[in-house]
Amino acid sequence: MDTSKSEIRRRIARVLRQVIDPELGVNIIDLGLVYNILFDDGKVIVEYTATTPGCPMRRYLQQKVEEALEEIDSVKEYEARLIWEPVWSVEMIIPDVDFFAHPPPQIDNYSTKIINQ
Amino acid sequence: MNRKTSALVLVSLLVFAGLALLSGLFSGLVRLGWVIEGGSPVSPLIHGPLMINGFLGTLISLERSAALEKKWAYAAPVCMAIATVILLLGIIVIAQWLYLVGAILLLLILTYLYQLQKEMYHIIMAVGGACLVTGNFLYLYGLPIYNIIVWWMGFLLLIIFSERLELNRIMRPSQNVQYLFTGLVLFWLAGITLTYVDRYSGWAIASVALILQALWLFKYDIARRTIRSTAWTRYSAVCLLIGYGWLVLAGLFGLWKGLPAAGPMYDAILHMIFLGFVFSMIFAHAPVIIPSLSGKDIPYHNYFYLPLILLHSSLLIRIMGDLFWLPVIRKSGAHTNVLAILLFLGGIGFQLVRNSLKKSRQLKAAEKS
Repeated sequence: MDTSKSEIRRRIARVLRQVIDPELGVNIIDLGLVYNILFDDGKVIVEYTATTPGCPMRRYLQQKVEEALEEIDSVKEYEARLIWEPVWSVEMIIPDVDFFAHPPPQIDNYSTKIINQ
Repeated sequence: MNRKTSALVLVSLLVFAGLALLSGLFSGLVRLGWVIEGGSPVSPLIHGPLMINGFLGTLISLERSAALEKKWAYAAPVCMAIATVILLLGIIVIAQWLYLVGAILLLLILTYLYQLQKEMYHIIMAVGGACLVTGNFLYLYGLPIYNIIVWWMGFLLLIIFSERLELNRIMRPSQNVQYLFTGLVLFWLAGITLTYVDRYSGWAIASVALILQALWLFKYDIARRTIRSTAWTRYSAVCLLIGYGWLVLAGLFGLWKGLPAAGPMYDAILHMIFLGFVFSMIFAHAPVIIPSLSGKDIPYHNYFYLPLILLHSSLLIRIMGDLFWLPVIRKSGAHTNVLAILLFLGGIGFQLVRNSLKKSRQLKAAEKS
């Protein structure tokens, strides 16, 4: 994998770990809501999902993912893309995460799942 | 529709829901005996329709439409919002028709959600929508509110229960445990339907179901875990658990007193459910729903425990007033209920404005540097 892309993925995963589902107190990476971080002609595309199509938090998540991407200097162009396939299930929650940790999981403790895609 | 326009539309519709809430609260105060010189601008008879349809009907259909991001779905909250204005203008029958149409449109949204994801919680949600359609049809048909109220309760309870069932997948309840909850929902529906044949027995069945549903939620809801978290997450969990406590109390009260058609016991049981439970859920979800609809964050503050404590303690006082027929106590409890809701809304508004000002100051500072 391209080192710079790997580094950008790492940064994106790190900032996305700061996007917390306010009702669960858990970040969207650990919840398994972020499916892919893709690169398309210099544009970063984050594919994510919500727990259900009727999720009232859908717009909130979209805004928070976009705000997180905006924070990264090396990402000039981005798209937060909501997708519904595959359908999210509890099995997608990252194993062994300290789910109900107090405070919520720390940002330096992120999974390598997204980064190594 | 682009996002910016959409946010404006959403906030406008949210304003209509807020209008219904404030006028509904005012109507409730008039019911309690507030005397306005020259007559009240809001009829005391429309307290229920304003709170259930005008406020919660608009709000719930708005959040579902916003979640779906389909233009046609916005017809539901728009219909509800127009109905509220017409109701406030005193044109009752047209408002009743529009509330019925709004409810049917909401049912369409909920059915569409089931089509997208064929899960039990979406069926329960759609049945909640069907309860609103039934209640609003009977309202148009001319049945008195005390004969409709069970359907309006069904609407809110089932929508909330379905959301909890969906979210509580995280607790990984077994299939049988999920079936048990669905069975309890059916049991509750059977109870409220039976109230039309035998009001006391029907409500007793519904009360037992209510207690069991609350116990299920106590055992399987993530709130028991997230209460150990911080800020809004902890606050939501506290609201949820208190709300479930009110369901148990409402169930026990219902077994003891039944569901009268009027009077203090009717007031007590209705407000245990609508204020104790439903408003707890509203307090729990406001920090998620408002940012989602408006695009503005609400920073957490411990202040929000003040309206929460005030709401529930004053509700207890109100119920004591109902139970022992002490009108002054009942009134003071009810007035404080309204104050608690206003303090909560005021806190939300204050935090929104404060946060916006803070952000614009930061922006200006960044531009200067």
